[in-house]
Amino acid sequence: MKSYDAIVIGAGAIGSSVAYHLAKKGMKVAVVERSDLASGTSSGCDASALICDKKPGIDTKLGYESIQLYKKYAQEFSYDFEFHQRGSIYVCESEEELEVARGYAAAEAADGYPMRMMDSYELKEAEPNLAQDLVGGIWTECDSSVTPFRVAFGFIEEGKKLGLEVFPYEEVTEVKMDGGAVSGVVTTGRELRGKYVVNCCGAWAPFVGKMVGLDIPIKPRKGQILVTEKTDLLVKEKIQEFGYMLSKFEDVKYERKVSRRVEEHNVAFVIEPTPAQNMIIGSNRSFDGYDKRNTPGAMKALAERAIRFIPKIKDVNIIRAYAGLRPYSIDHLPIVSAVEGLPGCFIAAGHEGDGICMAPITGYLMSQVITGETPMFDIDRLRFDRFRDEAYLKTVAEAYES
Amino acid sequence: MLAQEGYLTIEELKAAKDYPSQERFGKGPVAVIECIQEIPCNPCEMACKFGAIEIGSPITKLPRLDEEKCKGCGLCVPKCPGLAIFVIDKTYSEKEGTVSFPYEYLPLPEKGQCVEAVDRKGKSVCIGTVVDVKNIKSFDRTAVVTLAVPKELTDQVRGIRRGSGSFEMDDDMLVCRCEEVTLGEIREAIRQGARDVTGVKRRTRAGMGLCQGRTCERLVQQILRQELGGKPEEIGANTARPPLRPVTFASLCGGEEEQEEERNEII
Repeated sequence: MKSYDAIVIGAGAIGSSVAYHLAKKGMKVAVVERSDLASGTSSGCDASALICDKKPGIDTKLGYESIQLYKKYAQEFSYDFEFHQRGSIYVCESEEELEVARGYAAAEAADGYPMRMMDSYELKEAEPNLAQDLVGGIWTECDSSVTPFRVAFGFIEEGKKLGLEVFPYEEVTEVKMDGGAVSGVVTTGRELRGKYVVNCCGAWAPFVGKMVGLDIPIKPRKGQILVTEKTDLLVKEKIQEFGYMLSKFEDVKYERKVSRRVEEHNVAFVIEPTPAQNMIIGSNRSFDGYDKRNTPGAMKALAERAIRFIPKIKDVNIIRAYAGLRPYSIDHLPIVSAVEGLPGCFIAAGHEGDGICMAPITGYLMSQVITGETPMFDIDRLRFDRFRDEAYLKTVAEAYES
Repeated sequence: MLAQEGYLTIEELKAAKDYPSQERFGKGPVAVIECIQEIPCNPCEMACKFGAIEIGSPITKLPRLDEEKCKGCGLCVPKCPGLAIFVIDKTYSEKEGTVSFPYEYLPLPEKGQCVEAVDRKGKSVCIGTVVDVKNIKSFDRTAVVTLAVPKELTDQVRGIRRGSGSFEMDDDMLVCRCEEVTLGEIREAIRQGARDVTGVKRRTRAGMGLCQGRTCERLVQQILRQELGGKPEEIGANTARPPLRPVTFASLCGGEEEQEEERNEII
């Protein structure tokens, strides 16, 4: 039986990053994946690494530091994960939205992040294809894009240079315990011994949690996306409607004037250009169990919302729709943590739609937690323990209610 | 047709009434005897251990197949001096069936090789994958080759083009035209760990373009089988995703009128 310092379960963007960063610390690491690398949520998502869709505070901090790491790795890695730093624009439909946006941008700017308001004139100059009635927006200079599955491949390929071993197409069936501590895993192919076991299974993390008696409060939240044919650049960078905040966070409260269809499917317009010259159009969020199928209603709503913001897109062809399951956690913060009372057990999961953005920093922080170093910044709020705190859960539930 | 051109047509065969029924094809492999000339010959009758082939007397009578008795074992295939017996399996996999036929040329094709499949006339109909080559002593040098081809072509394919398996495919050959992905890139993706069509797609973009893999999917499947072996089930296909064919944003919304109505429904 092979023996490792750490075994990472799951080879999506998060698991690959955790595995790479642990290998970088000099550990002997194995990563086990039940299917192909990056075949779950990391190939059913969009391509952004943004701070403009984060909440002020640790959420933004995670995003920002992650982008800095992406920038560094884009130089260092021999595998090209198609990192581009083009900035992003949030667009506002009404004065009311603009007002909320001003408050938000001011808070982020006060924390030192490169965010500033754009007026409608500047918006038209920057993106002439946008609807002419938009009143303004937020410009976030540091926002970037990557190709998600290439991120996972990149971390794995770089990790291999450091001795990382990969076991794809092997599903973990049991997590081994020895004297109250985690001691390894049994897969459909073999048994591996390891001092540390890291659960990086995203939307499927609860299943692996159950194997050691943990109740991990993550559930799958479906997001559907449309892909256009190769087309002239309709926009130069990622553009989102400010209403996106509404679809993402239940506690951001203001009402958009949208059709029933858009409301029903929780759709907020997002567009981003890809290196292959296709445009990716989002976004919607729905709780639909582990069902990954696209639905005609949501696709229609996505198309409708896209035409509202980019009228010219009406004649562009959609060649594909796809969907992915985002690992939703109730307070919209990931778990990057040891598990109290279960030595050797770690969790890095629950990033919802921010897993691609936060993959590098998550791996970096997780490797610090596992080696017992002080994390590069305070990540107390990412502890798994918070879900065992009744008072905290109550506060969160209240904030997100109605 | 046989008298004038030297090959049979499926109509002539079906007229001879011994072509197995669709029901029998649905149950698994079965022999197809394509013999409609009354010549003095009966090794097939002897070859069948299950008594499924009967000629009787006189010896010039045509062989009759009892499709219920036939197990599809294929022992009759190398025994027919006229190379007129085949075993067809239409239950091989969801999309593919197999055709086993006698082959008396050297070199023999190899298992896993992709070859040009031909019909009774010798006309190329598709690329098939060799899934078995049997050449045991009792076959007396008439090898039996089993070829996997699209299910709908199993009534047509009856052989392979000689030497067709040995043609060299160049790494520069374009496989996915929409995304301009070459054979070399696909082989590299397989070396990096892609085991199925979606694995190749993620690593190379083959199948992500305008046609959504309609053109290259079968080629990618064949390359995977050539490099890794394995059944079509393991290699899989592109995930079926809407829309069926490209559709504009405006059409998806249901045209301008419907959009106008929707807009009026603003809440």
